[in-house]
Amino acid sequence: MKQSIYLILSATLLIVGCGTTSKLNKAQAYKGMYEEKPLSVLIMPPINRSTNVDAKEYFHTTLNVPILNAGYYVIPPFLSMEILKRESAYDSELFIEKPSLKIFNKIFGADIILFTKINKWDKSSLASRVTVEVEYILKSTHTGEILYSRKGTISYNTSVSTGGSFLLNLAASAINTAATKYVDVAKAANNYIFTDLPKGKYSPMFGLDKAEMAGLKVINVRLPK
Amino acid sequence: MKKHIYIFIVAFAFYSCSAPKGLYSFDKYQKASYNYLKKADEKSINEIMVQYQKIISKQKGTRKVTPPGMFADYGFFLIQRGDLKKGKENLNKEILLYPESKIFIDRILKLIEK
Repeated sequence: MKQSIYLILSATLLIVGCGTTSKLNKAQAYKGMYEEKPLSVLIMPPINRSTNVDAKEYFHTTLNVPILNAGYYVIPPFLSMEILKRESAYDSELFIEKPSLKIFNKIFGADIILFTKINKWDKSSLASRVTVEVEYILKSTHTGEILYSRKGTISYNTSVSTGGSFLLNLAASAINTAATKYVDVAKAANNYIFTDLPKGKYSPMFGLDKAEMAGLKVINVRLPK
Repeated sequence: MKKHIYIFIVAFAFYSCSAPKGLYSFDKYQKASYNYLKKADEKSINEIMVQYQKIISKQKGTRKVTPPGMFADYGFFLIQRGDLKKGKENLNKEILLYPESKIFIDRILKLIEK
């Protein structure tokens, strides 16, 4: 009996501890998303202001998956990179403050554009923890308005794997290179940030998540939970 | 009975924390993307092309459909390798599956024709 009470308590704690929410529901917090119903997302190359020169690529290559899994169309990443380079538009700094982004709708058919700023990438001296400070801004190409934004300090424990069996993880850690670990940091941050994004057209929850409580715009989290 | 309740609670707790199964599966695509972006050598190109083939042929996600962008990017790599015919086929598959890509992919097809 005692044991089951303990279990119920810990399970409740786990559930409560899962996320901090704002006092708004998604329909209130992301009004523009539900009004415009964007489908097509263009990912711009992250702006890297951190001291880790590779941080840009860690983030860039792990942004499309969480947005795809949220039900959106993401413009083919490598093809779009190629075109942005050809058009001398590969530098996101040129566009992040622009009031009109209509040109991206014309060329790419994009409804929204994702800008990412990596402000900090700190590796603790204990080696296993990486703390990143990142900003995410989704802007409409139709109105230029910000439809979804997050500023987060995310601390990730690279010695803990997020899934798989113990033995498998052990084997994986033996061949873990630094790069593999750091791709995981960016992946965890990006996945976490977009869990709150209203679901897109290809999700069965499209248009049905308005009453869910929205998360906070400024977050501070330790991963994996 | 007790055991069942216990399993239920644990399952529920995990369910609410971890993201439910995604719409799509990606295998090692993200790491392969990183390696390609960083190195762009023969090995990393082979690696990412294998990932596209896996994503296209074996979808374990709930939608059971090739995710957006995969046919198109795979086509782009094929074209870079000189396989123009197969590359264009894949670009057209992208438009067929995701009509919203037409504006952009048509632009690419025109660039290739030049």
